[in-house]
Amino acid sequence: MNRRERYKRITNFQEADRVPVDMGSHVASIHRFSYVALKEYLNDPDLKNQDKVLDRMVQNVVPDEKLLQRYNIDFRWIAPHWLDVVDVRDDIYRDMWGIEWQYMLDAYSVYSSPLSEAKTIADIENHDWPDPDDPRLVTGLKERARWLYENTDYVLVGDSIKGGILTKALQIRGYEQTFADLANNIEMAEALMDKLLDLYKAFWSNFLSAVGPYIQTVYFTDDIGGQSSMMISPDTFRQMVKPRLASLIDHIKSCADVKFMYHTDGTVTPVIEDIIEMGVDILNPIQTSALGMDTSVLKELYHGRLCFHGAIDVQQMLPFSTTEEVRYDVAKRIYDLAPGGGYILAPCHNIGSDVPPENVEAMYEAAQEYGRYPIALDDILRLEDRQKPTAEQIAAQAAPPKLERRPRRSRR
Amino acid sequence: MSREDDLLDELYDYTIDGEREKVVALTKEGLDLEMDPLVILFDSLIPALEEVGRLFEEGTFFVPEMLVAAKAMQGAMDQLRPLLAQTDAKPTGTFVMGTVKGDIHDIGKNLCNIMLEGAGFEVIDLGVNAPEQAFVDAVKEYKPDAVGMSAFLTTTMPMFIPAIEALKEAGLRDDVIIFVGGAPVTQEYCDKVGADGYAPNASALVRAVKEKMGVT
Repeated sequence: MNRRERYKRITNFQEADRVPVDMGSHVASIHRFSYVALKEYLNDPDLKNQDKVLDRMVQNVVPDEKLLQRYNIDFRWIAPHWLDVVDVRDDIYRDMWGIEWQYMLDAYSVYSSPLSEAKTIADIENHDWPDPDDPRLVTGLKERARWLYENTDYVLVGDSIKGGILTKALQIRGYEQTFADLANNIEMAEALMDKLLDLYKAFWSNFLSAVGPYIQTVYFTDDIGGQSSMMISPDTFRQMVKPRLASLIDHIKSCADVKFMYHTDGTVTPVIEDIIEMGVDILNPIQTSALGMDTSVLKELYHGRLCFHGAIDVQQMLPFSTTEEVRYDVAKRIYDLAPGGGYILAPCHNIGSDVPPENVEAMYEAAQEYGRYPIALDDILRLEDRQKPTAEQIAAQAAPPKLERRPRRSRR
Repeated sequence: MSREDDLLDELYDYTIDGEREKVVALTKEGLDLEMDPLVILFDSLIPALEEVGRLFEEGTFFVPEMLVAAKAMQGAMDQLRPLLAQTDAKPTGTFVMGTVKGDIHDIGKNLCNIMLEGAGFEVIDLGVNAPEQAFVDAVKEYKPDAVGMSAFLTTTMPMFIPAIEALKEAGLRDDVIIFVGGAPVTQEYCDKVGADGYAPNASALVRAVKEKMGVT
């Protein structure tokens, strides 16, 4: 079975020969420090690309083809180019949106947001927006996608320039100001999100006219989840983000015959039905360390309607586990998510600089070993990890009921 | 009911709604009526923020609602603060807060500050990327009841350790209650680094601090 056939079966909720595995997107590659550590651990001086940064913000690398082959990675990612990045200080750069990023420890974080002082919709309009029709965004991508399509059986994914409707608004307007807009200055939030939507649509038209005939999936990142709750309310998501994402997904699917993979970190359980309604085919990354992102419950509730990509946690599990614990967690995720297809195994985010190389090896080795269909892991997993979710566990996934405020009472 | 009682109810509701302009106007009206600033604070504003914290923890409010409520309260506090300074009223406690060295994420820290101030604490904010020495200096200068250290990333949470060590070396460790928090932080990690307390969110932090301080 070739890789594209395998992928097609899995995403159509059929079992294949094995669970597909992934690595290499802007959001789920490997940090350059851990890449060097891995290279030393593998004692492979030929492993290239340790200085070839894929996304400057998170300081990950474009993994060498040799590593992707070692781990039997089924996917190859086609990423648009970052344009007009300007170094404004030794430790600060400005991206094409005008957002400034500062280096700390091992990665960059938002340092300043160009629209934080915007007062009117005209201020948003007058911002120096990137040009989505700039041909440099997609230089060479058509040729690379066509070559990979014709000469390999890899599943090809169109990566987006990291963004999103909510995430990009937060970065460009500032977190506090965007959140405040969403609470009580909705016209500003709408104007900004509409502007972003227009730009994304134009960008995807161009990107897909180059690579659309060759790729099988597109990827779009937009974090809406936090560690223990969503960042915005389900109502705000439905009012502000969902209709715009749905419109973008319609647009993308009208440009090319592709599956849509949607990335959001954190806990998003209250809106997964909405995510399906928007036209999302695959949800990534299933951050199992966030509250309520229980893989057995997610499978029970959404199998047959939504595929899962990810689920190998990089926040708690990969950095702080032994290799045996890593292997066990891989088995658990495959056991929960892979039966009947619908699961692609990948790290939940970039493999960070705190992940030991032996754990990276253990993850991908275990994925090959345990990911063969039919899934037979009963002897590996403890009894409590083989239980079907209870009605209580499933009910706990629902959004909590909205409470009325209590009347005022003195605190003296 | 008197206008004063109505006003306290309206102030409570508008603070929870995050209507800063209305909160500012009502506070001014209250002061013009010669209401006691302590009444405005303890009978309306602090209960409002406490309610916001409850609604957040129960999943009815989210970050946007919490932020605008806090901004509304700040609009009232700007007027009350000079008047409160003339009274004998003491803050609930003093809290030094900072995001640790190597980390410039501040939204979680700021939400904690908001809820602490909303509960009547005086908060000294060291900002982001705060070096160990900043915690030491602030503890020396402000003699706080508690110190909070925030980290957003698994790669930056180990910075709790040198910060706590620096307080030990300065002989200040036992003078303060140390809290740690942030997305990847757990109670287990808190125990590991030798902090005194952990809270999963801003409102839980307020409860935990008050409990450790023995105030209600």
